[in-house]
Amino acid sequence: MSELTRRNFVTKSAGAAAGVTALGTLLSAEAEAKPRRAHRKAGGASRRGSGPVVAFVRDPDRGEVSVMRGERRVTIRDRKLAAALSRAAAGR
Amino acid sequence: MSSHREAPAISKDPVADNTDTYAFVSPDDPTTVTIIANYLPLEAPFGGPNFFEFGDDVSYEINVDNDGDGYSDVTYVFRFETRVANPDTFLYNTGQITSISDPNWNRKQFYSITRIVDGEERTLATGLPCPPCNVGPASTPNYAKLAAQAIRPIGGGRTVFAGQRLEGFYVDLGAIFDLGDLRPFEQFHVLGSMNKAGVNATANFSVHSIALKVPKSDLSRSGTTPADATKRDAVIGVWASASRQRSLVHEDEGDRVWAGDWVQVSRLGNPLVNEVIIPMGKKDLWNSLQPADDKQFLSYVQKPELAGLLPVLYPGVFKNLAKVKAPRADLVAILLTGLPAGIVPGFQNYTGPVYADELRLNMAIPPSKKPNALGILGGDLAGFPNGRRVFDDVVSVELRAVAGATYPLVDPGYKPDAAAGLLTDGLDETSTSYLTSFPYLGTPQGGYQTAPLALV
Repeated sequence: MSELTRRNFVTKSAGAAAGVTALGTLLSAEAEAKPRRAHRKAGGASRRGSGPVVAFVRDPDRGEVSVMRGERRVTIRDRKLAAALSRAAAGR
Repeated sequence: MSSHREAPAISKDPVADNTDTYAFVSPDDPTTVTIIANYLPLEAPFGGPNFFEFGDDVSYEINVDNDGDGYSDVTYVFRFETRVANPDTFLYNTGQITSISDPNWNRKQFYSITRIVDGEERTLATGLPCPPCNVGPASTPNYAKLAAQAIRPIGGGRTVFAGQRLEGFYVDLGAIFDLGDLRPFEQFHVLGSMNKAGVNATANFSVHSIALKVPKSDLSRSGTTPADATKRDAVIGVWASASRQRSLVHEDEGDRVWAGDWVQVSRLGNPLVNEVIIPMGKKDLWNSLQPADDKQFLSYVQKPELAGLLPVLYPGVFKNLAKVKAPRADLVAILLTGLPAGIVPGFQNYTGPVYADELRLNMAIPPSKKPNALGILGGDLAGFPNGRRVFDDVVSVELRAVAGATYPLVDPGYKPDAAAGLLTDGLDETSTSYLTSFPYLGTPQGGYQTAPLALV
């Protein structure tokens, strides 16, 4: 599944839910997706999908949140989550 | 340099910085191909106490395209792990290192190799040792023998080495980046001076090399050993790359956390492409892309900036070059598609119409008994741009090509300027030293034995 296709899929999924529920759904979806072959890299199984979680919101107004853990990244469109993270980052 | 510190972003990240890529039919084992990917530019041999090493947080890749689409079909991924025996000393070694497993070596590195074919992964080996850096006669006596212990067969006819090597790429950086003031031609330069001998700026510096020798059948599309140089299956496209995870968080107390998918931060196929062909504003972008994406850079190959500068820097010397207005189809063939049959008698390394910066090797061309460092330009079909051997004089070849020496390949009526076939930075393969067997790059200089740079 291409990045663009996966993103479309994620966006559609996110539209039906919000916040943590949507995120959980999307992480499962990403795990089943086959990465683009050109970007497929190897690593020990222990390095994948574990450890701290990093969230990245490039533009809160767009509502896109990239969530990274281990060697995985999922990008979702969730305006409520993006807004909540943005408020938290601003200390509000 | 070939690709040392060639782009703004990667110049600040040396452990992930591809410096040179080589691919050639092994001269002493011609059923195999050797591919070498170098990283960590300009290692000063005396650079302790934290001597140079691969990055545990970097994915190093050797990529092979065998169907001409600009994507990797066979990828070898190398991942490193550093193990510190005693964190309570500042010392790299606590005594002489006389073997690769010597407990006196305090900071060892090990690595794994994974082979990916059309997306399917297979781990070829784990726990392979790197050699230490060449510290000096007190710490690493008989370094050549010590480093040779890191040459490891890994089954399937494959052999690997990963560790410090003497820089094999020779270039007069000081002259080239001082307004192209090539020392052997200074009397013709716009700021004219006395002609001088070239100065090898990389002399005695080291790099970190990943060298892999594999059967040709490991790389060909058909999975067989190509014997007919006219066949498409004989040609592969090679490049090396390095990737980092998407995010890095610096935590308190010095901890760092990487997370996310892998993002390519460096790549290198043909020498000097990102260095002198791609403009500064696109170099970081270029490093992030696959060769399949290179069509967007086509115009920079068709009309290289350097070809426009030569007539200005050397007034009256490149009159014919200055008149060339057509796109440089010769350079496109050399760098982006390979040379089709019928251009150079008895040779082709054409991979198809996809514009992709790859080092194209026709594996059915046997090693030369009398190699010429100018490769095909010197009548040696086993050398650059048919792959690249460690000693090939790629600076002279590319200077001459850009100056118009190869333009008659596509325009037989064009007469190159007399200087085009003579251009050089004044260096050749005797400017450094090599091994005659795997891993072919020379033994690095010891830190104790090496003096700092001197003025010329």
